[in-house]
Amino acid sequence: MKHSDNFFDETPFQTAGPFLHIGCSPNLIGINNIFKNDLGVFPFEKEKHSNIISISGSVFDGNSEALNDVMIETWQCNDKGEYLDGQGFARFVPNEETKKFTLKTIKPGAVIGLDGKFQSPHILMSISSRGINMNLNTRIYFEDDDLSNDTTLSIINQKDKINTLIAKKIDKFNYIFDVYLQGNKETVFLDI
Amino acid sequence: MKSLIRRNFDKQPIANYPDYKSSSLRAPKNKKIYIPSSISEISGPKFNKNIIGKLDNDLTLNYSHNNKVPIGQKIIVHGKIVDQYYKPIEGALIEIWQANASGKYLHPNDQNDVPIDPNFCGSGRYITSSNGYYEFRTIQPGAYPYPNRGIEWRPMHIHFSIFGKSFGQRLITQMYFQGDPLIKLCPMINSIPNKKAKKSLIGSLDLSLSETDKLLAYKFDIILRGYNQTFFENRKEGL
Ligand SMILES: [Fe+2]
Repeated sequence: MKHSDNFFDETPFQTAGPFLHIGCSPNLIGINNIFKNDLGVFPFEKEKHSNIISISGSVFDGNSEALNDVMIETWQCNDKGEYLDGQGFARFVPNEETKKFTLKTIKPGAVIGLDGKFQSPHILMSISSRGINMNLNTRIYFEDDDLSNDTTLSIINQKDKINTLIAKKIDKFNYIFDVYLQGNKETVFLDI
Repeated sequence: MKSLIRRNFDKQPIANYPDYKSSSLRAPKNKKIYIPSSISEISGPKFNKNIIGKLDNDLTLNYSHNNKVPIGQKIIVHGKIVDQYYKPIEGALIEIWQANASGKYLHPNDQNDVPIDPNFCGSGRYITSSNGYYEFRTIQPGAYPYPNRGIEWRPMHIHFSIFGKSFGQRLITQMYFQGDPLIKLCPMINSIPNKKAKKSLIGSLDLSLSETDKLLAYKFDIILRGYNQTFFENRKEGL
C-alpha cells in the first residue's frame, strides 16, 4: 500500500497499564454506580445454550509467574460457524488469588470463508496489561478437532509451535489453555 | 475478500523496551507470525448504542455524589475515530480511564499517597455516530510517580480503548497533553521509535469550540486500520 496524502498510519498502541479495570471492567473493582453491566461478561445468552464449555488457564511471564493483572478479550463465532452481531465477545481477567482465568462459552463451529478457505473451530484472543506495549493476539484451537486443513495452522507449519495454540481436553466440557509470554513454551502470537 | 491493511510495526512501540522495565518479562521473544485476514479478523463485536447512558461520557458528573463536582480543571477531550483513509467509523466503542486531578486512580492497586476524589472515578465510554465524532468532559488528570528505573513520573495522560468494526482493528493507547515536559522523558512513549508516530499521541490544545470561554479543549483523532480494496469489495459487508 502506497503512502499518499490521503493515507495515514494507524495510531500507535500504548500499554493498558495496571489500572485498566477502571475503564474496561469497573464493576469488578467496586465502581458499581456508573455502568449497569461490564461488557463481555458472557459471550452468548446462557439460557439459549445447553452445551457450555469451560476454557481455563493462566498467562505466564518470563519468570514462569502466573499474572493476575492482565485483561483477556476473545471473539468467536457460534456453533454453526456464524459471526453474529452482539454475540461472541468476552472480556475477563484472572482470579486475584488463583491467577487462573475461565472462559465459559459455546464451542465455536468450523468456518468456511467466501474464498473457500477452511478454518477449524477457533477463538481469537487478545491480551493486554502493564508491560505489554501492544496487545498480543493469538488463537485457541481444540485438541479434539481435526486441525489438519486449517489455513492459519498450515502457515505456522511447525508442530511444537502449533501445539501452543491448542487447548487440551480434560473432559467433555472442560479445556485447559495456558499462555506463555516467553520461554521454551512461548505461545505463538499473530500479526493479524 | 476484503482484508485489513498490514500493520506497520515501524510506527508501533517496540515490545521489549529495556527503559520500560515491566516489558522485559512480558514481551514475547519470537517474531509475530503474519496471517492474512480471514472472516474471524474482519468481523468483530458490535456494541449497541443503547448501552450508553447519558452521563457515560461526562466524567465530571458520572460519579458525582449529592450534586458535588470533582476537583480540578474541567476539560473537553474530543476528536474523530477514522480509518487509514480518514473515513469516519460509526459505532466505534471508546472506553477511557484516567487518574484524578492529584494523579490518583480509583483502583485498589494504586499505592500513591495522594487523595482520591469522592466525586470522580475516571471512567467513561461512548459510541460514535456516523461522523465518527466523540467527546468527553473530564478533569485534567494529574501526573503521577511509579516505580521503573527508580521512581519516574508518568506525563498527564488518558487511557483509550477502541473497538472499530473488526477484531483486527482493536486498539489500546494513551493520549498525552500538548506542552507537558514529562512527555519526552517517558519510556512508554519512547518505546515508539518513530517521531511522527509519537507526536500523534499528543492531544492538541483546541480553542475553536464555542465553550472554550469556560473550559479548555484538547483534540485527539484516532486512526484505526483500514481495509485493502479488492475485486470482491462489492460483496456484502462482513463477508
Ligand atoms: Fe495511567
